[in-house]
Parts: sequence; C-alpha cells; structure tokens
Amino acid sequence: MSQWFPKLKPLGREVWERSVLLTQFLCCIHIIKEHVVEIHQVMGPSMLPTFSAVGDVLLVERLSTKFQRIKQGDVVMALSPENPRLIVCKRVLGLEGENLVVMPTHGSGRVQHIKVPKGHVWLQGDNLSNSTDSRHYGPVPYGLLRGKVFLRVWPPGGWTRF
Amino acid sequence: MFPTLNATGDLLFLERFSVRFQKVNVGDIVVACSPENPRVLICKRVLAVEGDSISVLPEPYAQDAAKNVLIPKGHVWLQGDDPYKSRDSRHYGPVPYALLQGKVQLRIWPPHSWKKF
Repeated sequence: MSQWFPKLKPLGREVWERSVLLTQFLCCIHIIKEHVVEIHQVMGPSMLPTFSAVGDVLLVERLSTKFQRIKQGDVVMALSPENPRLIVCKRVLGLEGENLVVMPTHGSGRVQHIKVPKGHVWLQGDNLSNSTDSRHYGPVPYGLLRGKVFLRVWPPGGWTRF
Repeated sequence: MFPTLNATGDLLFLERFSVRFQKVNVGDIVVACSPENPRVLICKRVLAVEGDSISVLPEPYAQDAAKNVLIPKGHVWLQGDDPYKSRDSRHYGPVPYALLQGKVQLRIWPPHSWKKF
C-alpha cells in the first residue's frame, strides 16, 4: 500500500487542478449565459410565421433588458406571469404609457382601449389566433423580461437578424 | 415594513432556494422586483398565494370599502406591515411569482437586533 502513495499523489494533484479548471469554466459559462448572451430553443405555434413551431434555435442577448433598451417591435424572451417556470417568446407591441387598441380574441369580444401602466409592457405573439399573451394575462411587468432575440441560428440556410 | 424592519439601514439575509422551488408561504417576508419600476427592489410580506381569495381594505380600518380579490394563477399578494405608508399590491395588484427574488431569513444588522424570520 505504501508503495502506491507516491504514484497517487501527482495523480490526485492533477485531478484537483482539472476540477478547479472545470469549475472555473462552468462559472464563466454561467456568467455569460446570465448576463451577456444565451442560446434558446423556442417551441410552439404562437410566433408563426416568424419562428417555426418545431424548434428554432435563437440567440438571446441579456443586455438590452438590463439597460432598458427594449423598443416596440422587439422579440423578447420573458418569464410567464401565469407560470414562473415557463419562458415565453413574444413581441413587444406597447411600452409603458402607450395607449393601445386591442382587438377581441374571439368574435363576440369587444375592442378594448388599454393604457400600458408604468413599468409594464404589452406582449403579443405574431400568430394572433393561437397565442396566449397580454390579451389574456394583461400587461407584463418589465422585470419579467429576460432578454431580446437578435439572431436565429437554426435551421441553417441563412441566419436571420431581428 | 415598519415596525418589523427599521425604515433604513437593516441588513437582511436572503435565501433564494425557497423562491426557486416555489416554497414561499403566506406570512413570509420576500424581496421582489417592483412591478412599477424594474430597477427597484421591494421588501414586503406575502399575504396570499395563487387561488386564495382575500378581502382588501384600500384604506386601513375602512371596513365598508372592502373588496374581494381572487389571486390569479402564478401571482402572489404582497403587502407591507405598515398599512398607512406602504405602497404594495393594494395599489398595483397581485404580483407575478417570477418577480420574487428571495425570502428573508435573518436580520444581521444592527447587531443588537439579530432576528430570525
């Protein structure tokens, strides 16, 4: 047993150093993902025809939401107000203070005039007939926005900038 | 949040696990992003969670003006302990759960008033 210890010691040191390096690498990836840019796959029909229903891969940058540079027409990722574990991808149609005219979601509804309150945005999917968005759950607090979509990288065949 | 917390200068110890695993209960003090200004963090008490129906007094002790509010799915009702001075869910409505940042566990400053919540 004592003859193995001199062989194990450099191996142990190497395992330790590799583990430290791996931890540092994972921390860097986490910081980049949380504060700079993130890769996201979107599923669901609510943003047809802009995004397909079966999983486009998008690059989402986290800086615009942190510095409040979101403009009307941007596509954003946000936490759903109805389910905190769900991330939704919608388009910002109204910023705080704007007056919006919202068409009814089904035939018998009424046209609504809504003023977007302070600190909120109005999110709507591009596929109006199949999207659960601010027409259902109201204006969304700005603090729920996670990032702005700026590039589609999959499917290949021409990256699309937004 | 007077009188539970001082007006300024208290240091609180938050933990983020309860919020992430959705184990926030009625009566907990939480820190959240304000729905009115995303750069501001607010510290309030959770008085109701999704599915609860509460009776809200827009002004304290004005019993006749009580309104019943059903907390929608994915939201909580936040209210400060000082009903006269606090700006909370009575003004801006139920707050989406995803805005909660952490649950207050301890007060660690001033040192003579350490307290576990």
